[in-house]
Amino acid sequence: MSATDMSQREALLRLGASTAEAVAQVLEMFAPEAVDRGEVMVMQEGASPFADVTAGSVAASVSYVDGVTGANVFVLTATGVRKLARAMGIPAPTDGDDAAEPSELELSAIGEASNQMMAAAASAIGVVIGQEIEISPPDIQVLRNPAGASDIYGTSPHATTTTFMIAGEACRLIQLVPAAFVVRMARALDELNDGAMAGVTGGTGHDSEAQSTALEEALVDIKLRVWAELGRTHLPLARALGLPLGSVVELNQEADAPVDLFVNGVRFAQGRLIVTDDGEWAFQCDAVGGRPAPDADPASPSPSPEPEGAVS
Amino acid sequence: MARVLVVDDAAFMRKVVSDALASGGHDVIGEAGNGVEAIDRFRELQPELTMLDITMPEKTGLEALAEIMTLDPSARVVMCSALGQESKVIESIKLGAKDFVVKPFQPERLLEAVGKALA
Repeated sequence: MSATDMSQREALLRLGASTAEAVAQVLEMFAPEAVDRGEVMVMQEGASPFADVTAGSVAASVSYVDGVTGANVFVLTATGVRKLARAMGIPAPTDGDDAAEPSELELSAIGEASNQMMAAAASAIGVVIGQEIEISPPDIQVLRNPAGASDIYGTSPHATTTTFMIAGEACRLIQLVPAAFVVRMARALDELNDGAMAGVTGGTGHDSEAQSTALEEALVDIKLRVWAELGRTHLPLARALGLPLGSVVELNQEADAPVDLFVNGVRFAQGRLIVTDDGEWAFQCDAVGGRPAPDADPASPSPSPEPEGAVS
Repeated sequence: MARVLVVDDAAFMRKVVSDALASGGHDVIGEAGNGVEAIDRFRELQPELTMLDITMPEKTGLEALAEIMTLDPSARVVMCSALGQESKVIESIKLGAKDFVVKPFQPERLLEAVGKALA
């Protein structure tokens, strides 16, 4: 395997992992404690990622249309559609016919879930490549003939697949990635590896300064979701459901390892948890976007690469 | 309590937004599924408040917002979108939106934005 091939594969894995993490975060909000994420797989060139999709599956696709291009197709069985729709608050049919084809409202919920998942993914990828990415409205299809999916979504030289379990039902995220997107991703990773993060997340400060005072005042009220993550692990669904009281689940981080801070699904900073004078947890920031905070301890570890195949 | 037009291309999301508004005592007087319909319904219904998605077919929420603000510069519009990117927020506010709610949201956050827009 050449260095170029390795770089492309690394870029695809990173793209797949960042996307899958953003998708898992959104799914977890809809179906708390019921989402399990599998490994990111890079498809061999020329292989169809739809080859083993079951006929009758539902596919919700959202494309990147500006910044980069590419298609993201979330494929679920009819049972998967119903389970996710229930998790999103759509009640079961009153006639008890839960085996019927998904209703329009259920399909609409899956489309909205895809919209939110891919918006989060676009934000995460946009941070990596240093450019905002716009997405298309979702498109819902019932794949009567998965072998003919290329007629719907076109072909692409690169593809990744990631399997998710939602309440025990498997679904799959397929990413069709144009060559230009892979090149952009590989270049961004090279810059990250070189420690050349300046400018990747920068620029917004200048932009913000250019806005009027009234505009800034309007923006400061925008609320974002922020959370700190101590660590992760993989658990089979059966074990997760059967965890007894008092059981101990080991996470993948050492007790003194830095903690990740997420903002709207994007891994934003690293630091440590501290306890305030009021006895509440707080996050002390050591690095933002790979750059140490100005007053950070230089001995503090820098952010590690995105873990591949982690579970939210 | 306000008469509200809800615009989103997803029927599911229109229901979620409408339910949240109803829980706050607001009256959803109409719905639209894209930017073109949004402008037609705005002209027809003259709502006190419009909830507007961004990523929609036919005409985006930002394009619809610009037309609505041309029709009625005093229109009260709250954007509600999964696209929380800074440029979208800035563009929305520049065009005249009163607030920007990022999906997914808690009903309380949506009602807070509505209350602020109506104040």
